[in-house]
Amino acid sequence: MSTIRFMEEIRRRYGGETIALCYQCGTCTGSCPVSKTSDRYNPREIIRLALLDNRQEVLYGDAIWLCASCYNCQERCPQGVEIAEIIFTLRNLAIREGKIPKLYEEFANNLVASGRLAPISKFLEKKRAEYGLPPMKPVDIEAVNKIFSATGFLELFSRSKGEKS
Amino acid sequence: MEEIKVGVFLSDCGGQLSKILDFNAITSFVKSIPGVTFVAQANEFWRGDGLKIILEAIESRQVNRIVVAESIPKVSEVAIAKAVEEAGLNPHFVEVIDLKDHCAWPHRDSPLEATEKAKAMLLAAIEKVKLMEPIERAEYPAVKSVLVIGGGIAGMQAAEDLAEMGFQVYLIEKEPFLGGLAARANRFFPTDDCAICIQSPSSLKTVANTSRKCVYRSGISELPNLKIYTSSKVVKVEGAPGNYRVAIEQRPRYVEIEKCIACNLCSNTCPVEVPDEYNAKLKTRKAIYITTPLVYPPAYVIDEKACKFHECAKCVEVCPTKAIELDQKPKQVILNVGSIIVATGFKEFDPSVIKEYHYDEYPDVITNLEFARMIDSFGPTNGAIIKPSNREPVKHIVFVQCVGSRDRRWNPYCSSICCMISLKHAIFVKETNPEIDVTICYIDIRTTGREHEYYYERARELGVKFVKGRPAEIIHDPATNKLIVEVEDEILKKFLELEADLVVLATAMVPPEDAKELANILGLEIDSDGFFKEYNAKLRPTETMHRGIYICGGATFPKDAPTASLHAHSAAIKAAKFLMNGKIVKDLKVAVVNEDYCGDCEFCPVTCPYNAISLVPKDNGRLVAKVSDLLCEGCGVCVGTCPVGAIELKHLKNNQILAQIRALLSINGSSKPLVLAICCSECGHAAVDSSGMAMMSYPANVRVLRVPCAGIIQVQHILEAFRAGAQGVMIVGCKPDGCHHGVGAQKAQRKVELAKRLLSEYGVEPERLEMLNLLFIEGDKFAEAAKKMTELVESLEFIKLP
Amino acid sequence: MKSYALFLGCTIPARQPNYEISARKSLEKLGIELVDLDNMTCCAPPPLRSIDLKTSLALAAYNICLAEEADLDIVTLCTGCFESLAMTNSLLRDNMKLREEINGILSAVGKEFKGVKEVKHYLQVLVNDVGLTRLKREVLKPLDNLKVAAFSGCHLIRPSKYLKFDDPERPRIYDSLIEVLGAKSIWYRNKLRCCGGLLRGYADDIALAIARDKIVNAVSAGAECIATLCPFCFLTLDLGQMLIKSTYKEEYNLPIIHYAELLSLSLGVDPKELALEIHKIKIDKVLEKIGW
Repeated sequence: MSTIRFMEEIRRRYGGETIALCYQCGTCTGSCPVSKTSDRYNPREIIRLALLDNRQEVLYGDAIWLCASCYNCQERCPQGVEIAEIIFTLRNLAIREGKIPKLYEEFANNLVASGRLAPISKFLEKKRAEYGLPPMKPVDIEAVNKIFSATGFLELFSRSKGEKS
Repeated sequence: MEEIKVGVFLSDCGGQLSKILDFNAITSFVKSIPGVTFVAQANEFWRGDGLKIILEAIESRQVNRIVVAESIPKVSEVAIAKAVEEAGLNPHFVEVIDLKDHCAWPHRDSPLEATEKAKAMLLAAIEKVKLMEPIERAEYPAVKSVLVIGGGIAGMQAAEDLAEMGFQVYLIEKEPFLGGLAARANRFFPTDDCAICIQSPSSLKTVANTSRKCVYRSGISELPNLKIYTSSKVVKVEGAPGNYRVAIEQRPRYVEIEKCIACNLCSNTCPVEVPDEYNAKLKTRKAIYITTPLVYPPAYVIDEKACKFHECAKCVEVCPTKAIELDQKPKQVILNVGSIIVATGFKEFDPSVIKEYHYDEYPDVITNLEFARMIDSFGPTNGAIIKPSNREPVKHIVFVQCVGSRDRRWNPYCSSICCMISLKHAIFVKETNPEIDVTICYIDIRTTGREHEYYYERARELGVKFVKGRPAEIIHDPATNKLIVEVEDEILKKFLELEADLVVLATAMVPPEDAKELANILGLEIDSDGFFKEYNAKLRPTETMHRGIYICGGATFPKDAPTASLHAHSAAIKAAKFLMNGKIVKDLKVAVVNEDYCGDCEFCPVTCPYNAISLVPKDNGRLVAKVSDLLCEGCGVCVGTCPVGAIELKHLKNNQILAQIRALLSINGSSKPLVLAICCSECGHAAVDSSGMAMMSYPANVRVLRVPCAGIIQVQHILEAFRAGAQGVMIVGCKPDGCHHGVGAQKAQRKVELAKRLLSEYGVEPERLEMLNLLFIEGDKFAEAAKKMTELVESLEFIKLP
Repeated sequence: MKSYALFLGCTIPARQPNYEISARKSLEKLGIELVDLDNMTCCAPPPLRSIDLKTSLALAAYNICLAEEADLDIVTLCTGCFESLAMTNSLLRDNMKLREEINGILSAVGKEFKGVKEVKHYLQVLVNDVGLTRLKREVLKPLDNLKVAAFSGCHLIRPSKYLKFDDPERPRIYDSLIEVLGAKSIWYRNKLRCCGGLLRGYADDIALAIARDKIVNAVSAGAECIATLCPFCFLTLDLGQMLIKSTYKEEYNLPIIHYAELLSLSLGVDPKELALEIHKIKIDKVLEKIGW
């Protein structure tokens, strides 16, 4: 368990630097398409919880996964708080705690296996040819995995999978 | 030249100091110093019998230089210098040092070491006075007249104050009419009265019924020694405090004020219609116009940008008094004034840049100032609250707070008056049209002034709705011509869509666009928010770095009318105090230039915080620095800046600095390595005082040299200290942003960094040199740092610089 | 003839031949050469950024390195790919510390990000390389005042600090490209607001509600179609209308058309060549209106 304040933990990570500038004006939530539609997500509240060091509630809650990454909040924030980047930072932290939504796990699996969101099937190649589209170019899956290994992604990912099961 | 005879006067503070310091040893040491002709000891020397001893020694010609060891020197040296002067000696021949707070108290646990330090302190003072030269007193004539720039509420009040005190006052206003922003505000908080009210001149009250009327009927324009220039701006300022030559450029009015009877025939005839800025573009006006019926001057003006002049000239034909002169040219007026007051105010921020609020696109999104014009019975709608888009009545109004203020993209500061303005407007609406629904969207409601919170209370009682949340966007629905304000109600955590006929933006208040230009002309500093910077916010809020130039009202920051009034009166008093004697008397503790060394560099003129140095060509074409004795404040920042040592202070010459450094380090008397603390005589030296006063202790190997400002320090002073035996050097200045001479502490910091690099080259550990920025009340930090530096140099090898 | 490395991404080649065909055909007609490079991988979209920021930067930078090696600027079709690559390009150009760190990672595969190539969305190619004047000349079948609800998707314009595509609150470029084809870009409420696409698969109910909002706003403003640039927006709004029908029992039948399709049609490409059967909401009404 880390001994530094949660706010500090966020602020020290790339993308989280601006969090302490927040003065809770609500422009983010007012600009948010998700908040407008659902009360499960409120970016202002997430920032507030984080500033008051509610680490558990923020990282293990559902809310941080409900950001649609539309960046509307970030464009309008009068204090220059990079809210969307902070949400990414929080997700990065949550995943380091082993908390990864299934969708993201599938996404990562596909990426590691094929270097794409989804592999290109024989059937698909046939369809492309019928449409007169050129065959798909190969992906250097070995290189992609070398990158994943260099960033620690593979380890991070298998760890979070391991902790989950 | 008269032989130098130094008298040394040792106060033992009623016997307190002699319990610690060995006065016999000190006395015999002092007597042995060449040039010392008189030594005395008493309870105190700054008044009573003690002071008499000094004066008798002077009068009997036994001494002509004075060193006094006395407590509270910041007070006692004033009394001693005054008495010495009366006795016929130049008052600057006196040096007062503090053996109590700088020696006996902090080193009371090691009396032997303290006694040796006292000897070193006295030797330094004696060497300093021996090298002193007389400092003359100069008198400069000061013109008893003042220029006030800006004819808004602050400028008008400052002008009236000074005119009534008998000064000749020139009030200039860039617009064609007086009144400024205030006059457009309709009503003021928290008094709810006319925005255009100011106090009438009392001298006029005796002859007419002018008590507390609006600006335009106050009679201010009738004060005999007040001259008003409208449509005017300052283009050039020359001269010095007490005697400025100011060039004013006045745009033509094209209407003779004396002839115009404000009959309105010209305006009725004029075929040109343009948006009316004064009325926030809510209506149009003609090219020849008057802003409201109650203005000064009560005469029409032609808008140069709109008028077709001789192509049309219809107004000239109809004017019954032949007041219109289409061929008027701009005028330059030269004014001779002793002092200048800047009262240029602030303006509303243009919220168009906050695109999500669509101010520039939707006519029904307006600003608070535009709303103030709307509810003014003289205003564009004669007080009717309507939708500008279709002139239909309004059912829902939403106010949006903090538009462009507290916003790091535009203006990071809180404009401080917008909450109150919106509350004022909301209350007005509810009291006059209770059926209109009013909502204020806010981040924080700030009602910090007297009676301000009652406004907030009244608004709630009147049914104004408050939504905590900054709106994200204002949407216009073309189908209904309604506005929709999207905002999170933070308290309910609900997404609201507030329907509105009118949205009023509480925009930031920002400096006028020409503030920077004026600051350049006057040599004034602008702060990071763009406002005029005062000398000291706490104690000298209306003074600037330059004596003789004052600032007041909104020019320094957005403020409400009560504060602007106070500010105006303060600036007026400051200007009056400065000029009341018709002369400026000054002891010439100033910088002097050695023209043999000086030439062709511009470090000192650029660095001088007082603009006191200029470059003048000599016969051989070389440019040399010239110090204005009147402007120079004697800080010595120029000395620290000069690369060739061509400039020094009359009251602290370089040889005096070096002599003191050597003297302070010539005696140790302790086993600890010597440390020299070079302290500015403002906060730095005072911090040393306070550590002594609070009986904090630090070792006696720490010696203190006092200089006017840390900015005077040169790298060679630091090296000289090491050469003279210091094992560590501390530079103690004011806080970087609180330096009494503006830039001194920052300059010193740079010297320290440079010296650290040089020391490294010599193989000397750079941590032997340290810069401290202290306040008077931080004596504990000085004692702590002195102890730490001593410990550090004890742990290092002994060094001796070649 | 200007050449670009075409960055196709993952979704378009796998699921939206209508987009790929129309983009290839129209850009080719306008004299833009598209080069398909080997080894381009996933663009590193928000889900990867969510898992690990550094990995996403490294993967995006890897793609940019491939274009740098081929000495070509990149053009993307998908706005999501545009955001991932352009943001990375901008970040690594300006932040030397971050660049050093990412290059440290890329050295494992013998690559180095140099920051010498541009990442462009194909709209930028249309505006800057082709130009509105020429584009107008090339239009054979003007869109006959078709009322189009322009929807660029978020990641064409935001975060504007990095993308610098257009004014984030009042973008004009996309609308002018629609109007130059003879259509009318109409005002509709919350035009710039997200479609909710990125929440699909995690919070389908919210994603659908947001998408429904978009459709309702466009329909109430009288739109005859929504023009998209992003394959996710397309899916969310096109397939989404099927889900709206089953969930909300509401039927809007608002055609969702990629801008590239509108462009191809106006340039005279036969609709039969465009794989229009991919559309869940049939676009026959639109074709009819513009005279096909």
